[in-house]
Amino acid sequence: MTHMHIPDFVLPVWLWVSGFLLMTAALGISLLLLRSMDRKKKIPLLGAISAAMIVAMSLPEFFFYHINLSVIAGILLGPTLGFVAAFIVNLMLALLGHGGITVIGLNTMLLGLEAVLGHAFFTLLKRVFPVFWRAAIATVLTLFCTTMLLIVIVAASNINPQDFLHADEHAFAVQEGPLSVLKFAGLVLLFGVVGWILEAAITGAVVKFISQVKPDLLGHKLHEERHQAAPRGEHFD
Amino acid sequence: MFHRASILSKAVFLFLVLAGALAAKAPYPLAAGYGVILVVAALCGLPWFRIMVLSLYSAVFTVLYIVSLRGGVLTHTVLVFKAITPALAVLTFVVSTPYPKIFSLLSAFLPEILASGLFMTYRTFFILIEMMDNFGAAIRLRGGFSPGSLHKNSANISRGIAMLLVKAVERSSRLYAVMAVRGYNGSMAQTGADGFHRQDVLPIGTGIAVLMLALLWR
Repeated sequence: MTHMHIPDFVLPVWLWVSGFLLMTAALGISLLLLRSMDRKKKIPLLGAISAAMIVAMSLPEFFFYHINLSVIAGILLGPTLGFVAAFIVNLMLALLGHGGITVIGLNTMLLGLEAVLGHAFFTLLKRVFPVFWRAAIATVLTLFCTTMLLIVIVAASNINPQDFLHADEHAFAVQEGPLSVLKFAGLVLLFGVVGWILEAAITGAVVKFISQVKPDLLGHKLHEERHQAAPRGEHFD
Repeated sequence: MFHRASILSKAVFLFLVLAGALAAKAPYPLAAGYGVILVVAALCGLPWFRIMVLSLYSAVFTVLYIVSLRGGVLTHTVLVFKAITPALAVLTFVVSTPYPKIFSLLSAFLPEILASGLFMTYRTFFILIEMMDNFGAAIRLRGGFSPGSLHKNSANISRGIAMLLVKAVERSSRLYAVMAVRGYNGSMAQTGADGFHRQDVLPIGTGIAVLMLALLWR
């Protein structure tokens, strides 16, 4: 649920412009850190994982929830390239009419944060749990954090419907009392929890499978120590 | 006509429709603008019905956001049209423009990593879609789907996604290697965009019409 399906011009201008500014700064830092990366190896990986994220997001699984694979992107690509993947995915989705163009900034920040946090939690838990549970717990923790951020963004967007209407049209509007951010939060958390569990199970299984079949894909530089220390075939489980 | 127009004019069209959606305060002008784009798409021989259906996809998710807002039907209708009108414009742009032109425009102002990443994502996306279809057929044929067994289905789907991911990385690496051998260095052969020409009247005119509707129909 953390990828916002909020279309264009629903959010106030200051909010989506801030999203774009933050995204530009974060992308700038990411690209600066990626100057010396092995392009021959990393760009195909970036393309494959970004494409997998788009395919996953195009498949509705549970009511409004669909899997994101953003934590997998963080684990496989690392935080900086994971953030770049988040931008690519949001730009492509906007071009396909899935999500607005103006919310690319905020969506990239949310999805990019999932990649960064997913990678951080996965790395932090490396001595505590086997690989399936590491990935699954990292996913739940990450999605909890970013869902909370999503609710904060919606609360900050506190839109007054009068901004959309003219005096002669006010008669049509039904005033329902205070803005129901709580209602929104309730819905998002209700469906979110089920979605988090689903995404955690899929992420855990995918990462475990990759660690068994192609462990070098998990060979991001932050995992190097573990890779070098463990004998082949016993990297993560 | 839309196909023959320059990519620059279609980018201007997109910008004008977005500006119209930003300026609109009522659903009627945006509904009219939506209709104008749809008629133009139909007259130009674009798959208007399919792009209309795809544009409505953005409205589905707007509903979840709408429940958090005060206001009545009119407010909610404005929000729905603010969602679907730019979506229709984006889809019209995408279906009438060859992808090398879109990427050549993007690579003119995006850093190399982003331009290459976007291009590889686009190419790999279609490879993955095909592999996904094959995977779906294979899993059904081999009895991998058991109605009612969530655990078994989830396990099989997860393994399938993992396998697709591994294969996609391999295919993508091979594709990139082939492109590099053929001289690809992060940018398209033709970068930037051509200037305006006579066929650009239609997209720019359509964009102006949508913007004028939003500005004048108060």
